[in-house]
Amino acid sequence: MYKMLVIGLSAGGMPLVKQVLAALPKDYSLAVAIVAHLPQGYESNFAQLLDAVTDLPVTTARDKQPIVAGHVYVAPPDYHLLVEKDSQFSFSLSEDEPVKSVRPSIDVLFKSAAEVFESGLIAVILSGANSDGADGMAAVKQLGGLCMVLNPLDAEFSTMPNAVIRQVDVDYIAGIEDIISLLVSVDEKL
Amino acid sequence: MTVLIKWKNHHIEDVEVSLLLSALKERYGYDFSGYARASLKRRLLALTHEFDAGQLSQLIPIVLHDEKVAQTVINSISVPTSEFFRDPGVWYYLRTTILPQLASFPRINIWQAGCGYGQEAYSLAILLHESGLLKRSRIFSSDINPLFLDNAQKGCWPARYKQPWSDNYARAGGSGVFADFFIENKHDIIIRDEFKQPIEFIQHNLVIDDVFKEMQLVACRNVLLYFGNSLQEQVVNLLTRSLERGGYLLLGRGENIVDLAEKHPQLELLDCSLQLYRKLIGTLDV
Repeated sequence: MYKMLVIGLSAGGMPLVKQVLAALPKDYSLAVAIVAHLPQGYESNFAQLLDAVTDLPVTTARDKQPIVAGHVYVAPPDYHLLVEKDSQFSFSLSEDEPVKSVRPSIDVLFKSAAEVFESGLIAVILSGANSDGADGMAAVKQLGGLCMVLNPLDAEFSTMPNAVIRQVDVDYIAGIEDIISLLVSVDEKL
Repeated sequence: MTVLIKWKNHHIEDVEVSLLLSALKERYGYDFSGYARASLKRRLLALTHEFDAGQLSQLIPIVLHDEKVAQTVINSISVPTSEFFRDPGVWYYLRTTILPQLASFPRINIWQAGCGYGQEAYSLAILLHESGLLKRSRIFSSDINPLFLDNAQKGCWPARYKQPWSDNYARAGGSGVFADFFIENKHDIIIRDEFKQPIEFIQHNLVIDDVFKEMQLVACRNVLLYFGNSLQEQVVNLLTRSLERGGYLLLGRGENIVDLAEKHPQLELLDCSLQLYRKLIGTLDV
C-alpha cells in the first residue's frame, strides 16, 4: 500500500536517520528519499555515510533516475529533489531558488512526492533548527499520506518538529524507537 | 489549518497544466510540453499564488488574451538561476585542461545555451581573457526568452553577490581580483565592456530551432534538468550536431546523461562528475 518514505532532517538529525536506516529490513518494500541540510564538506559523502549503516543500497539521486523499491536516495547538494510521475516513477532535480534559504528543500521534496504518491506516501521529520518541512508535511497530510514527527523533546534541535506540529495535525508524534517500529510494521507483507 | 485550506485550493490538477501549456503553444508558439512536470507544476503553483488566483485554470483565458500576462507565465516557467563560476571545479578544469586544447584553433566559437542573467557567458569571457584567448573567441549566448537576453546583455547584478561569486572565482583557479572585472556602484556590479564585446546574445529555442555550426565548445548547464526524457535526448542531439569534431560539450553537474551517452555514440564521456563530453573525431553527423 505504501510506496515511498520521505525523510527530512537538519541539525541533530544525522544519528537519527542512521538509526532509522539501520533498522529497516533489507527487503524493505518502500523506496526511501532523504533531504538533509548538511554542513559543507559533509554533503558529498552523505550517501556513503548512510550506506555504511544499512543493508539497503544508498545512492545520491540523479536526474530522471527511475525510483526502485527498497532503495535509498539522498538529494544531491545544492539541488532540489522532486518526484516525477510519467510512465514510471522517477526523480528530477532542479536548481530553482532556495526555499526558506535552503536547497535542497524538504518542503519541495515532500510536496512533490505527495502529489505523486498521495496516500501511498509516508513522511517523517526528525531534528532540525529551522522550519523547512512544515509546508511539505501539510501537503502530505492534505493528499492522504501518513505523517510522522519526532517528539520535539527527543530532538537535539526541536524547531523543525515543533514547526510541523504547529502547522499540521500529524498522525504520529513519537520517539525514534516508535517511529522505527511504525516504519517497519507498515511493510508487513501480509 | 489555514495552510491546509490554502494548499487544497491551490492544488494544481495535471489537466490544468496541460491546458495552460496548450494555450501557450497554440497562441504564442512556446512549447513546454516536453518539460519535466514536477518542477513545472511547482513554478506554476507559485505563479497561481502571485496572481492570487484560486486555480491555475483561471489564468488560461487571461493568458490567451493578454500578452503581458502570457509573458509573465513564460518567464516564470523558464526562470533562470545561475552564478559566476558555479561549480568551481568545472571551471578549474576548463581553465587548466580544455582551454589549452582550444588554443590550437585559429578561431574559437563557443555556444552557451540558456543565458539566464548572463553569468555563465561572462564567466567564459573572463576565463578566455585570462588565458589570452578572448581576442579570437566568439561566444554565442542563447535563450528562449528575450527578456532574459536583454538582462544578460546589461551585465548587471546586485552587489550582494560579489563575495560569493568572488569565492567561486578563486576556487576555480582565478588568480586575479574578481572585482576588477566590474564597475561598481552602491547597489550593483556591472561587467566591464571588454567582456561584453565578444558575446552575441541570440534568441534561440532549443525545442524548435536549428543547430549552431562548428562550435568548439557547447555549454548547456542545468537546462536539460527541466526537460523530460525524450526532449532531453532531442536537445542533446542538437547540441552534438552543433559541435565540430573534437569539440567539447559541457552539461550541468546535476545532469544525468550516463545513459544518454550510450544513445549518442558520437559523444565520448571525458569526466562524469564534471558532465564533460567530447565529440569523437572520426564521426559522421546523422
